[in-house]
Amino acid sequence: MADEDEIDLRSLGDQELVEQMWDDLYDGLADEVVEGTNILLERGWTPYDVLTKALVEGMRIVGIDFRDGILFVPEVLLAANSMKSGMFILRPLLAETGAPRMGKMVIGTVKGDIHDIGKNLVSMMMEGAGFEVIDIGINNPVESYLAALEEHKPDILGMSALLTTTMPYMKVVIDTLKEKGIRDDYIVMVGGAPLNEEFGRQVGADAYCRDAAVAVDMAKDLIQRRHNQRAPQ
Amino acid sequence: MSDEAIPAAGGAVGRRGRGGAGARRAARRGGPIQQLRAIERKIGLYEVLGEEGLELIEHNAETVLEEIGIDFRDDPETLALWKDAGADVQGERVRFPRGLCRSLIATAPRQFTQYARNPERNVEIGGKHLVFAPVYGPPFVRDLDQGRRYATLEDFRNFVKLVYQIPALHHSGGTLCEPVDVPVNKRHLDMVYSHMRWSDKPFMGSVTAPERAEDTVEMARLLFGAEFVDSHCVVISLINANSPMTFDDTMLGALKAYARAGQATVVTPFILAGAMAPVTAAGVLAQTLAEAMAGMALTQLVRPGAPVVFGSFASSMSMQSGAPTFGTPEPALVLYGAAQLARRLGVPFRSGGSLCASKVPDAQAAYESAQTLLPGVLGGVNFMLHSAGWLEGGLASSYEKLILDADQLGMMQVMAGGIDLSTDGQAMDALREVGPGKHFLGCAHTQAHFQTAFYRSTVADNNSFEQWEAEGGKDAAQRANTLWKKMLAEYEAPAIDPGVDEALGAFIAKKKESMPDAFA
Repeated sequence: MADEDEIDLRSLGDQELVEQMWDDLYDGLADEVVEGTNILLERGWTPYDVLTKALVEGMRIVGIDFRDGILFVPEVLLAANSMKSGMFILRPLLAETGAPRMGKMVIGTVKGDIHDIGKNLVSMMMEGAGFEVIDIGINNPVESYLAALEEHKPDILGMSALLTTTMPYMKVVIDTLKEKGIRDDYIVMVGGAPLNEEFGRQVGADAYCRDAAVAVDMAKDLIQRRHNQRAPQ
Repeated sequence: MSDEAIPAAGGAVGRRGRGGAGARRAARRGGPIQQLRAIERKIGLYEVLGEEGLELIEHNAETVLEEIGIDFRDDPETLALWKDAGADVQGERVRFPRGLCRSLIATAPRQFTQYARNPERNVEIGGKHLVFAPVYGPPFVRDLDQGRRYATLEDFRNFVKLVYQIPALHHSGGTLCEPVDVPVNKRHLDMVYSHMRWSDKPFMGSVTAPERAEDTVEMARLLFGAEFVDSHCVVISLINANSPMTFDDTMLGALKAYARAGQATVVTPFILAGAMAPVTAAGVLAQTLAEAMAGMALTQLVRPGAPVVFGSFASSMSMQSGAPTFGTPEPALVLYGAAQLARRLGVPFRSGGSLCASKVPDAQAAYESAQTLLPGVLGGVNFMLHSAGWLEGGLASSYEKLILDADQLGMMQVMAGGIDLSTDGQAMDALREVGPGKHFLGCAHTQAHFQTAFYRSTVADNNSFEQWEAEGGKDAAQRANTLWKKMLAEYEAPAIDPGVDEALGAFIAKKKESMPDAFA
């Protein structure tokens, strides 16, 4: 592998470079991902193509191997951080060019619940998949959720709970959204160890996500469906 | 795995990475087996007897030897050896002056090395060491697909190949199952050859007749060289006492053949308490010590310095049916006590295993096995036979249970390693880096250790209910079934010198031709 140590990203053709970026994302090499992102932009790629073909596709591979038990959580964390480094460059450019966004999510644990490792994993995976994530932290009363929705205008609201005693609060939040007539403005996803599909349906969420990898798949799927629904408008 | 050490989070990495998904998948889906060396215990021992109790048991054992005596059946040579050593021989009953056996055992090593044909697999037996060896003796095998059936030579080979691939089984064992499709008088040749050829771990010899023990030693000479075998232990063999207080000529013949060749024996009183010994732990212990001392002392009369292990196999029994019971508290107490007695005697100790009475690898099997495995690890066993694969009171070798038990052995190996108190082990840098209210998944210390920090079970399913259900809702035995089949499909035999292999083949062929098949 010694000869590979000297690879010059600029010497690679577009396709080779993109594949190298998938490997670099997988290996959590933030500096290399940033360099690859800049090179593609210099070569005239649109920010949207760099995002989808290089970064999101690379993270899709990471997601598959995470699901299959090949990658460990700390490795996915490194990969997601590398993705964020690339996104840091792309985000202003994407806004300028008015490219379609992957989506934006507001996420937080519900009132009474301060257990946030699971929520943090979801945030990490969502960011890794190219979503913009606004993490409002732990122990959120309904007012905090409403304020964050108002301020950030996300596509998705994510709520998490570890305790059977706190999970009913998800229904409080969703019922409040209904009262205010804004429930259908958002995709609502819920997760946490004591939840299941049925609970998700009962509280009126759009999706129950059993783990972080599934949360990403669900989010992509629901965003896609929403786009399709809105297309005729 | 050293080639994929993970750098500190955000730290500088080589200009190019580690090969991306392709490299990681190759490394984690397969790759060479990372075998484990035998355990060197770094945790304390659990003891159930104080000084007074130990002295009492030792006194009672000497009383058994002096007053009641031990029968040595159909073996004039042994009786003559005892007479010369100063014992009182009346017919086949031998009575021993107090302290005679103990003083003879003083020439036996406290710890010894059993050599394997691959020096990486040599094992230390005794002292702080713990060697895991697989199930021994069952006539039946069982797996989920074909159920319970008589074992064949193919099953035997399969078990050798599986054990070879299991890192926490440090030893290839002996009669992994009894290949009943091969004539009794020739079976041992195929069994010993299978251990020699399809594994490179140390193994056990045949004990079903003195000449079969000698065949084992002869084959070992072909494999290791005659001179090496005379001065090194290359085979260890299981000699059971016919409890209560009896040794028979078959076992004595094999014991003497191995001792004469300088090879190791495990002298084990095999006791189903209530039938073959008193029902109390103290009674079982006194009888076990007496029988084991008589057998071990005999090895030293044959060849002073011959390696020998104090064995104890004790089970309780159902007083309703007479069936042996496993995983019960009384045999665990016997094990803890016997281990203490062996340490005071200054010889290695064999006991324990993943023993159970259950017919299938179910919850009963798991609980019972755990309740004998753990006392073995905590009590100070040095050589643990039956540590994986045992089912149905030792009547069946289970493919699935072999895999399930082996997973537990891996965990025991980690536990016996104790707590790492090095600077790295203390992890103060991680505590400082993260601080209150954050998580440790990204910190440098975690990034450096996550791969090996926790034992990773080969069979446990820790996924969400939904994922487990999507993957077929399999229980542990079903997952183990998939695993052993994969292992057999991917098995690669360790290399062997073709000249040695040819010599072994010629020896076996000549032996087989020299006698008609016999099924007794």
